[in-house]
Amino acid sequence: MIRVTRDEFDASALLEEARSGEEGAVVSFLGIVRNDGIDRMEVEAFEEVAEQELSRIREEAIAKFGVTRVDIIHRVGSLSVGDRIVLIVVGASHRKAAFLGCEYIIDRIKESVPIWKKEYTAGGSRWVPGEHE
Amino acid sequence: MLITVHIRAFARFRESFGDRFDVEVESPATVRSVMLEVGKRNGQGVRDLIDDGGNVKKSVIIMVNRERVTGEARDEHPVHGGDEVALYPPVAGG
Repeated sequence: MIRVTRDEFDASALLEEARSGEEGAVVSFLGIVRNDGIDRMEVEAFEEVAEQELSRIREEAIAKFGVTRVDIIHRVGSLSVGDRIVLIVVGASHRKAAFLGCEYIIDRIKESVPIWKKEYTAGGSRWVPGEHE
Repeated sequence: MLITVHIRAFARFRESFGDRFDVEVESPATVRSVMLEVGKRNGQGVRDLIDDGGNVKKSVIIMVNRERVTGEARDEHPVHGGDEVALYPPVAGG
């Protein structure tokens, strides 16, 4: 499943869904709004392109590492400290492929998926700089 | 002849220029001519978009019809009437 959504998601349920017995290893990554002295964060996406790009990254991970299951959910909208931003669930026959695939996907998301974050503090607001400026 | 190009702007460029709007440019149009027209909407914001030499800044990511336009000849990439041109800063998701 690939989804960019305004809605909260149930990470535990998605992880449980991945325990189908088809894969021997499931690795997940959960990105969370960190308490950097912010009140909230606004996450913005070019949604149509973001979903297209996430699908492309899923296909890359399947081709490179032989993973067999990839779910990616990314939130947009107003988030508070502790909220989930992104969940990646990667299943494979063996652990090595699942770990590598999961790391590859989060690194590629930070590189190419059109999503931005603006942090709001008591003193004002700031755009979070990309890692690939 | 003037053509109409549909613009989508995101993050700080959305704040400077608006999120969705049309611009009219002379045909034949290029990424450069479209961005110069977009820049006219905000005298301050244009500095984030165009450098002193009149080139689109490398930090601006451009998509034409949902495909990234990259490379040295990016500013001369053709834009046609009815095309969608998106502009955004480096991404920061995840």
